[in-house]
Amino acid sequence: MDEKNLTPEESILLISRTIEDTKKRFEENGHIIVLWGSLTFIVFFSQFIFSITGLYKLFDIIWTVILFPLGAIYTFIYVRKDVKKRNLPKTLLTRVIGTMGWTMGANLMILGLIFSKQLGDALAPIFLILLAMSLIVIGSSIKFKPLLIGGILLNLIGLGSFLINRDYHGFSMMLGAVVGFIIPGILLNRAKREEHV
Amino acid sequence: MFKDLDPILHSQLRLSIVSILMTVEEASFTFIKESTNAAAGNISIQINKLQEAGYINVKKTFKNNYPNTTVSITKKGINAFETYVNNLKKYINPQK
Repeated sequence: MDEKNLTPEESILLISRTIEDTKKRFEENGHIIVLWGSLTFIVFFSQFIFSITGLYKLFDIIWTVILFPLGAIYTFIYVRKDVKKRNLPKTLLTRVIGTMGWTMGANLMILGLIFSKQLGDALAPIFLILLAMSLIVIGSSIKFKPLLIGGILLNLIGLGSFLINRDYHGFSMMLGAVVGFIIPGILLNRAKREEHV
Repeated sequence: MFKDLDPILHSQLRLSIVSILMTVEEASFTFIKESTNAAAGNISIQINKLQEAGYINVKKTFKNNYPNTTVSITKKGINAFETYVNNLKKYINPQK
């Protein structure tokens, strides 16, 4: 960067460009969002298949208990590597999103594994509503409309799930995974790739 | 009348560094280098000037046996940046 005398207009332009460029370096590429949408879809689709084939009791818990922690481990490694690779510093936004993501994930795990009996029929709707809240917060924080819309739709699916029979909650989860995570995640990934072309 | 612009901030590289630090909680030397595309030596000089003015904090540690410098903006730096931006606005729009 060459030093030169800045005019007031150039200074304002430099400040806004630098802040905008710095913010862009933090933006998520949608990879983790698609991953969690796919994991949720796979878990609930496989539960559906297991229930049809009568293998439900044999595989359901093991499958869920293995797949979600594996996703958490992958997410942890991926985020750490990404931060290191891109030399990303801490910002208020990344700290809020990170803390919210891990807190939400831990609570969902605890709710699903320990308190599922107490929650009964409300388990899936509560899951969906909690996930929707995080997507809405992330979508509005990074100003990405498809993620915000996906979060709102997921919230509506969650509320709607209170009105349907528990037997169909697996389908609500699958629909929620596609609408709230997979489609917005793919759109975010595409938007990021186009930005770098 | 127009207020004078802060000479510490009214420099291309120092202004870029402070603008970056206004966006993040703290940034590594490497991040600043990548963001500004400036030479390491030049960045070091400007960081020293900003530190001497009390606008930034510089923390030198070791990471995997390599020196790791991180910088963050101070309260004084934030105030100076806000005053600088307000003065710039007055230059551009004197009526306001």
